[in-house]
This record gives sequence, C-alpha cells and structure tokens, in this order.
Amino acid sequence: MNSRTFVFVSLVLILGLALVLSGCQVPTPPPEPAAEPEAEQAAEPEVQMGAAYKIGFAPGVTGGGAFLGEPERNVAEIIAAQLEGSGGIVGPDGVKHEVEVLIGDTETNPDVAVSVARRYIDEDEVVAVVAGSVTPISLAIAEVAEEAEVPYISMASSLAIVTDPDTGEMRPWVFKVAQSNGDVAVWQVERATALGSTSVCYLYENTGYGKDCFNNSSAALEAAGFETAYEDSFERTDTEFPQVTGVQAAGCDVVVVGAIPPGASLATIALRDAMPDIPIIHGHGVCTEDFITTAGNAADGMEMPCSPVIIAQDVPDDHPQKDVFMAFSQAYTEYTGQPVSTFGGHGWDSLGWVIGALETLPDGLTLAEQRAAVRDYIETNIKDWPGTAGVFNITPDDHYGLTEESFTWFKVEEGSFVPFPGEEW
Amino acid sequence: MRQILGSTRGRTAVLIVAIVALIVLVLLLGYRKNFGPEHYAQLAIDGIRGGSIYALIALGFVVIHSVTGIINFAQGEFVMLGAMLCVTVYHAELAALSPLSPPLKMLLAVLLAVAGTTLIGALLERFAIYPARNRRAPVVALIIITIGATIAIRAIALIIWGTRPYFVPAFTTLEMEDLTLRLGTLIIKAQSFWIWGVVAVVLVALALFFERTIMGKALRACAINRRAAQLMGINPSRMSLLAFALAAALGAVGGMVLAPATRPTYDMGLMLGLKGFVAAIMGGLLSYPGAVVGGLVLGVVENVGAGVTSAGYKDIIVFVILVLILLFRPRGFIGGGEQAVEEA
Repeated sequence: MNSRTFVFVSLVLILGLALVLSGCQVPTPPPEPAAEPEAEQAAEPEVQMGAAYKIGFAPGVTGGGAFLGEPERNVAEIIAAQLEGSGGIVGPDGVKHEVEVLIGDTETNPDVAVSVARRYIDEDEVVAVVAGSVTPISLAIAEVAEEAEVPYISMASSLAIVTDPDTGEMRPWVFKVAQSNGDVAVWQVERATALGSTSVCYLYENTGYGKDCFNNSSAALEAAGFETAYEDSFERTDTEFPQVTGVQAAGCDVVVVGAIPPGASLATIALRDAMPDIPIIHGHGVCTEDFITTAGNAADGMEMPCSPVIIAQDVPDDHPQKDVFMAFSQAYTEYTGQPVSTFGGHGWDSLGWVIGALETLPDGLTLAEQRAAVRDYIETNIKDWPGTAGVFNITPDDHYGLTEESFTWFKVEEGSFVPFPGEEW
Repeated sequence: MRQILGSTRGRTAVLIVAIVALIVLVLLLGYRKNFGPEHYAQLAIDGIRGGSIYALIALGFVVIHSVTGIINFAQGEFVMLGAMLCVTVYHAELAALSPLSPPLKMLLAVLLAVAGTTLIGALLERFAIYPARNRRAPVVALIIITIGATIAIRAIALIIWGTRPYFVPAFTTLEMEDLTLRLGTLIIKAQSFWIWGVVAVVLVALALFFERTIMGKALRACAINRRAAQLMGINPSRMSLLAFALAAALGAVGGMVLAPATRPTYDMGLMLGLKGFVAAIMGGLLSYPGAVVGGLVLGVVENVGAGVTSAGYKDIIVFVILVLILLFRPRGFIGGGEQAVEEA
C-alpha cells in the first residue's frame, strides 16, 4: 500500500488503541454513588428556608497526595449526598438551610491549593474551608485563611499548620483533624525501648510529611537516649534504595520509616531484602490497605500506630468511638466498595465539625458573622468529641485536640492489621 | 593554565586528575559511613541495573542523532510508553485474553508494548518531523518539535493513566514478590538478570542488524554521510522513519523490562530520558559502544555517589557530569565519529 494509506490505517489503529486503552484502565473502581435519599422530607409545608451554606472542600485528589486525597474526596461525596438527601440542616430557630459541599482538588500543589482556597473564599463565599491532605499544602492554605478570616480545617499531620510561626501560639482560624507526628513519636519511643534497641536508623520521604516525621521521631528518640546511627531521605517515586546499603553499614538495631505508600512499601521491601530480621517501625501514614498490598510479604511484621477505625468491627462496644467507627466504615465501604481508609476519616471528622457548627447558627447572620460563629463553635464546643481519628478536645490553646491515646499500636500479620498491645511486646 | 585547557591532551589530563580526586572523595565519604567493599559492590551492582536502562535509552538517542542529526527528547517517553502499555495489556480484563495463562499474558503484553510504542515512534516521525523537514526546517526546530512531543505524550499519558503508580509482576515469578538471589553478601533481584539479559540480546541483535542487513547498512551509511547515501539511492526520509521506529523499540524494550522493578508512572520518562541523554553524550552521541559504556558508568557513578552522600544528590550527580562533559570533552569519552556534538 502506498504511504498515504499506511498513514491512514495507522492513525485509525492508534485511535482505536487509545479508545480501548482509556476504556480498560487498570482497575480503580470509580465509586458509584449508592443513592440513599432519606425518605422523609420535612413534613410541614411551612418550613422556612434560609440561605444556603457552602463548605469548600479540597483534598489533594491528584498529584503526590492522591493516596490520601482520593479517600477524603470519597467521604466528601458521601456526606454531600447525605445532605442532599435530607435537604440540609435545621438551625436552632427552625429555619432550614441547604448545605452545599464544594469539592475541588489541590493537585498537591501549593499554588493550585492557594488559588482554589481563594476562589472558595472570595467567589463562592464559603462559610468554612476544609482542605489540604498534606502538610505543605495545608501550610499554604492556612496563611490564606488567616488573612481572610475564614475558619480552616486541615487534614494533614504537622502541628506547624495550626501554630503561628512568629508567636508560637495557635492560629485563631486554623484547626486540624489528623493525628500529629509528635504523638506517633511517643509510641515509637516506647516500642524502641521495649525492643531494647540502642541505635536507630531513619529513612523518610523527602516531603513535608516525611521530614516532620523525622524531626519528631528523632527529637523524641534522641531525648530518650537513642543514638542516631544513620538518616536519609528518599523521593516518593523512588524505586531504588541505595540508602539501604547505608543502613546496613551503620549497624543500627531498629529502623524508623516516615513515609506513605507506595514509597513506604517499596522502602520496606528494600529494607527486608537486605536485612530480613531488623525491626522496622512506621508512622501513621501507612495505616491503609494500600501499604500491605504494595509491600506484599515484606509487610509482615511491620509495626505502626493507627486509629482503631481500621478494625472497626473488632473494637469493643464500650469504646467511645465505636459508633463513629461503625457509621464511618459502613458508609465508606458501601460507597466505594473498598476497605476503610483512615485518611478518609479525616474528611469525616472535619466535615462533622463544620456541620455541627452550622446547626447552631441562627438565620440572618452575615457571611463574616457566620464564619466567626463557626470558628467559635469549633474552638469551644468540640470537647470529648468522638471522631475517627480520636476523641477531640479543642481549646483556644490547642487547635489539634488529640493526644497519643488516640492511637493503638498495630502489627501487620499475614496481610492484615492486628492490634499489638503493650502487654505483648 | 590556559595552555593546559587549550589542548585536548591537557584537558584529558585535567579530567583524569579530577576523576582520581573524585574516587578519593567517594572513599573518604564512604569511610565515614562504615562502608566496606561489600557495600560498594552492592551499590555498584544496583547501579549497573539502572545503568543498563540508561544504556538502552542512550542507544535510542544515538540511532536517531546519527541518522538525522536530531536529539530526540521524547526518547524517555518511549520508555514510559513501553512500561505503561505492558501494564495495561497485562491487566486488561478482556474476554479474549482470559484463557491465556499468566506467562503467555506477560509475553503478549511485552510484545504488544514494544510493537505499540514502535508504531507511536513511527507516527511521531511521520506526523511531526517529516512535514517539518519537508519545509526545510532547521535541525533546531526539529529538536524543539521533539520537546513538544514529550510534553504532549506525557499529558496524554496523564489523561489515560492518571497519576498513580502501576504494578507489573516480576518476570521470574509472575508475582509481585521477585526472587532474590544472594551471592555472598550481595543481594540481586531476579529482575536484574532479566534486564541484563535483555540488554545483551538487544546489543547483539543491533550489531547483527547493522552489520548483516541491508537496512542496517543503509542506516549506517546515512549516519556517515547523508548526502552520499542519498546519491547511492538510499532514501533519507525513509531512514529517518526507520531510525525513529528503532529508537522507539529500544526505549520500549527498556521500559517493559524495567516495569516490574519500577512501578511505572506517567512521568517516569522525563528523568530517564534526561539521564539516558547524558549517557549518550558520553559516547559523543554517535558511538554505540560509547552509549552503552556511558550508560553503565553513569548508573554506577550515580548510585555509588548517592550511597556515600545522600540519596537526594542522585540527580545532581548526573547533571554535574553532563555539564563537565560538555565543558571539557564534548566529543565524549569513547568512540567519536566525524561530527562533534557542537555541530548538532
């Protein structure tokens, strides 16, 4: 055939291939909304409708934080569907308000995150912003929220997010729902002590989260007398780990890893290949099935602190968070068909705070008054508040509200997370 | 000083001194970290694995550059496409494929990945390079076109595959867990042997192609002197198409054999392409053995360097090497050829 025919045929083949490829993507089931409109709309035809409230929700659905952002977005969709089904919330004066959850994407990029937050605040006139799956994004948004005086709840872990860098005090408008690496470090010190180790090697990912893990873990462990034999970072996308050779040469007796999957899993595999017996402990970024699936057999024996939400059914009934765990995990697994995600839980808790606050707002407030009222509510009324991450106690001096007691120590055994309480160490 | 730097011999001497100094530096840094010979050996072995992939990518650069004068910045994307197509075909849930056993599926995935990427390379040449060359575009414009191609291919890959990393099982076990061989204190994964084996086969095949087949000899003729080749009846535009297809195939082979070891992502091509380019430069962009040796050396240097300092320095090491080569010895270390890189 001549070259024109060749070109035409190849073009058709390529287009066909592209169509087929985009159709058979490697399976990540796109979550279909399991529609459940609540049957009863408010019976009285007289119910007064007030202005709609908008909540700006933006996790990092794409980019480096996608592992965290996707479950968070799923949760926002679940809650948005619930709100739509019930028609909104009713204020203390009986006036009903629709609640709209705007769902965006920070793309795990600080510039995009800032512009998304600004759009929410200025154009969409949201009453609160819930955004930022990872620390550097949250730091960027926190500045915007402080300046615009809009309550902002972050779903990332570093305490630096809620702390004003100049005064060291809490930023008035910023809160967070995810457990902190400082609390993780407390557990790591206890476990390393129980293991009888003396020197520690650190391997962490080269991101805000990884560095925060390293800073907190090394500070706590060094204060407890452990020697730092080796420390190095790796990129989230790395697949080769020359650092493992360094860990081997350093001769430490426990390795502390600060990363999220897949980097955490790949690093685990590399460490296990080189050193089959050395104890390896992680942070709470690996409290997800993805960690075990990616790491395969190497995941067995890994230890980490997690919220017990990952074993919701096995939590005793008298546990203060049992109801929250069950409600969250059922809603999540029904909607997505996947096992529960601790990161999704941050979306659940944060939106729960905002909706709780909105339910106390009388009708007729200006936007600025609404925002201030939501902020005040979160600061004063979130006490003994059971969430998926822990039981929160927010005060003006503590916009984080959790302690290390929100964690349970887990071990991976035969491919699942199993609680590993201190008595068995 | 100027006299030393002026002459080629002087520059070579400076380079040798610099290399010796670097080796001493590496040993010092390694000593601080308690590195013994087994640690260096492990770092070197891992480096050769990465280096083999760089070698394949570098070969692709050399093929296209020697025949057409173009530096194909989309070379890295061919590797990515090879890996991603392999992933997609292997995981495709089509009824026609289900009776196949996993090894057959893997074979099919590998073949389709290479074939598909070769086709894309050929289409790239026909649709982007050929029309521009017909309008007498200078080589620089064609190079910029390949830069546009790399951006476009990456964007399309983002749309099709998204940002998450994908998984392909290891060739040996067809599971996620790969066989780990221990030779003394060295740890080598079975996939590394596949990579080395494939690269060796590719090199032999390439050598046979250039020596024994008419097409190969025609390509070499084009590389030596395009005008003369044209006068002898070789169609340079067809040679250009062949060069791109061959380079795409080389990249895809690298990608598909690397895929089980790397968790392919849509943007893995960028860094791989750039590092393969550095490896190709080591061979002056014109020498095949030079490209292979360059790739292996680059892999080892990068890995050992990152091991003794900190992993974050991996990319810096590679690009410092690039700058040094371009400053001091643009013709590359090995081989050479009639044209220097500056003339590109």
